[in-house]
Amino acid sequence: MLLFRSEEWVDVWCKRNKLERGEMLSLQQVWELSKLWYGNRMSLDYHGRSMEQVAEVFRQAGLMSKFWYV
Amino acid sequence: MDESLVWQGRHFVYSHFAETTRPPSVDETAAHFGISKEEASKLYKELHNRHALFLDLDKVAIRMANPFSGIPTDFKVHANGKTYFANCAWDMLGIPAALQCDAVIDAVCTESNDTVRLEIKGGQIISHQFTNPQSTSTQLLIHFPIPFARWYDDLVFT
Repeated sequence: MLLFRSEEWVDVWCKRNKLERGEMLSLQQVWELSKLWYGNRMSLDYHGRSMEQVAEVFRQAGLMSKFWYV
Repeated sequence: MDESLVWQGRHFVYSHFAETTRPPSVDETAAHFGISKEEASKLYKELHNRHALFLDLDKVAIRMANPFSGIPTDFKVHANGKTYFANCAWDMLGIPAALQCDAVIDAVCTESNDTVRLEIKGGQIISHQFTNPQSTSTQLLIHFPIPFARWYDDLVFT
C-alpha cells in the first residue's frame, strides 16, 4: 500500500504498472483500520484471525465494499 | 511442531522488533529458546506458512512481521526513541497502533516523490505536512491496489 499526494498520482502509478485503480483511503481511515488491525499484535495471545474476524474488523472500519470481501 | 513454541516464537519476533527495530536472526531465536538452528529455521517456516511473518526463504531471514519491515523502506517511524521501518503506507500507521505509542513518521509519496511528516499523539493523527518546501498542503491518500482476497498471493507487491 503506497502513499500518494492526490488521485492524479495514483492514476499515473496505475497506468505505469498497467493496473486498475484499487481502493483509496484517507490517512484517517487507515489510522482507524490500523488500530483495529494491529492494536493487539504485540500480545502473546494474538494467534492470527479467522476470516469472520477479518470481516468484522473491516466492518468496524467502515470498509464494506466488494473490495474488502473476505 | 509444539503450538506453544509457535506462538511464543511469534511473540519473540515481535518483541525483538519492538526493542531493537530489527528482526531476530535464526541464531538469536535458537539461542533464546535453547533450540538448534535447524529447529529455529523450522519455527520460522511454520510462522511463514501461517502468515504470521514473511520470510526471505533463500536466506531464512525475516523480511516482514507486519507492520515491521526487516529491510529499509520509504516509511520511517520514529517512536519510543527508536526508528523503525514499516512495510508500506498502511504499516507506517500500524507501528504506532501496534506499539500504542506516539510517533513521528517520515514518508515519501509515490510518483510525486514529495516527502511528508506525520505526527501521531494521544491516539490521534495530529498533523501531516510536506517537508519539501515546494509542496502545498493536500489530502493524502493511501492506495490499496488489490482486493483483500488476493493480498496473500504476492505479499511483497501487496
